[in-house]
Amino acid sequence: MPLLIILLPVILIALWAVSEYNFFVSSKARIKAAVQEIGNQLKRQVELIPNLEASAKGFLKHEKDIFKQLTDARRAVASAVDSGDLQKMSEAGAKVAAVLPALKIAVEDNPEIKGSEVVTKLMDELRDTSDKVMYARRLVIDLTADYNVKLVSFPSSILANMFGFTEQEGLITPQKGEHLEVRDSDMKSPRVKLD
Amino acid sequence: MNNIYEAQASNRLKSVIIIIGFMLFVGVAVYILMQALGIYFGYQPGGLGGVGIAFIISGLMSFGSYYYSDKIVLGISGARLADRKRDFIFYTVTENLSIASGLPKPKLYIIDDTAPNAFATGRDPDHAVVCVTTGLLQKLTRTELEGVIAHELTHIRNYDIRLMSVVAVLVGTVALLADWFLRMSFWGRRSKDDRGSSQAQAVIIALGLIFAILSPIIGTLIQLAISRRREFGADIGAVSITRQPDGLIKALQKIAHDREPLEAANKATAHLYIVNPFKAEGPERSRRNPINTFSNLFNTHPPVEDRIKELQKMA
Repeated sequence: MPLLIILLPVILIALWAVSEYNFFVSSKARIKAAVQEIGNQLKRQVELIPNLEASAKGFLKHEKDIFKQLTDARRAVASAVDSGDLQKMSEAGAKVAAVLPALKIAVEDNPEIKGSEVVTKLMDELRDTSDKVMYARRLVIDLTADYNVKLVSFPSSILANMFGFTEQEGLITPQKGEHLEVRDSDMKSPRVKLD
Repeated sequence: MNNIYEAQASNRLKSVIIIIGFMLFVGVAVYILMQALGIYFGYQPGGLGGVGIAFIISGLMSFGSYYYSDKIVLGISGARLADRKRDFIFYTVTENLSIASGLPKPKLYIIDDTAPNAFATGRDPDHAVVCVTTGLLQKLTRTELEGVIAHELTHIRNYDIRLMSVVAVLVGTVALLADWFLRMSFWGRRSKDDRGSSQAQAVIIALGLIFAILSPIIGTLIQLAISRRREFGADIGAVSITRQPDGLIKALQKIAHDREPLEAANKATAHLYIVNPFKAEGPERSRRNPINTFSNLFNTHPPVEDRIKELQKMA
């Protein structure tokens, strides 16, 4: 009986340590996989855009700017994918997302192409592909946050120190810079002109 | 103001408290009913005993509906498989949210019904099914649909279907024991071998009667409370995936204000849907009314207004 009283806490602590250890290693593996998923989605984007360009060409021949934007975005993504640098890849992905608003304006200006199925399809696919990249990034952010919270919170922090787990960077975002500052122009309420 | 992490933590805590309360209740009810049954049997059955038999019967009844939940529900609802070309938005939204939540993409089905609604089922993420009505796809925008699908994916991620099946088995066990006791006290005869402790026996039998009558109801009420907690949990989880509470809020409003009844739903499948398909809770029903507060105890879902209020805190 006394042996059991001594052994039981030891067994419980050991079980806890194993599960915490496994959390750290599996999280690390998942973060790595999630980062690869971003690359995967961007590759899909590179293959998708030329197809979309080809199918929408006839309808958008007057919209040279949009075409140029789309081509530029595709090139940027392609070169970023080749370089294998995640940071560059996701910056290039943002360019694809920027085509969509421009395309919307063009469609509004040209009622004759508004109803065309090809253009609707193009817009749907563009939104979808940029969503996919965005959500792939979301997974990296969430997984890294879970991991890093566990790393510093007690009592899992003891175990993390013992086994030398270090903070995961996840997506690198500068901690200083324009995107964190609010300028005067941002404070004004947006004005929408309808005429 | 209430951020997602606080909301998640508080909901998880409430959920755990209810489940612990439920376990305690099941334990006490089973113990008392077994003691009372023992008096009629004249001895405490050893080995598997009455609880084991009740548990196995209840388990067998629920196991099929749990293990084949995906197939059974889809068979009842008459759903068809979704396809990327035809249901582009539904298909891609689910694909994207599966990426974001790190789940395998569930099987997607569509019910041909103009009433907007959605549900998820399946025993684990690998056998999960998300099913929506054509009305939902027609009436919601892409952002709103993302909220609904994220709610369903959270149910899958939290193993809510498994949890609710376990709870159903336990409630079933208690109900069976209660039923047996009531039958025994009707038809059975007390064993005559030890007349010495008849006063203690009378107390146990009285307690047994009270539990036999009340515990199936109490069990069901706690079961419903757990179900409502999981709905709140799925709402919060949905926001943690999409980060857009507005999408889900607008979707809930649209689904709740739609007066059309869902023909594919019935009492057995009602608890699965994102909003109760029987529309008992119209927008004109006020929460203040004590009768409504009472009737809410019998609902599988919290009132839509309450869910929206919780979501608005996060917006």
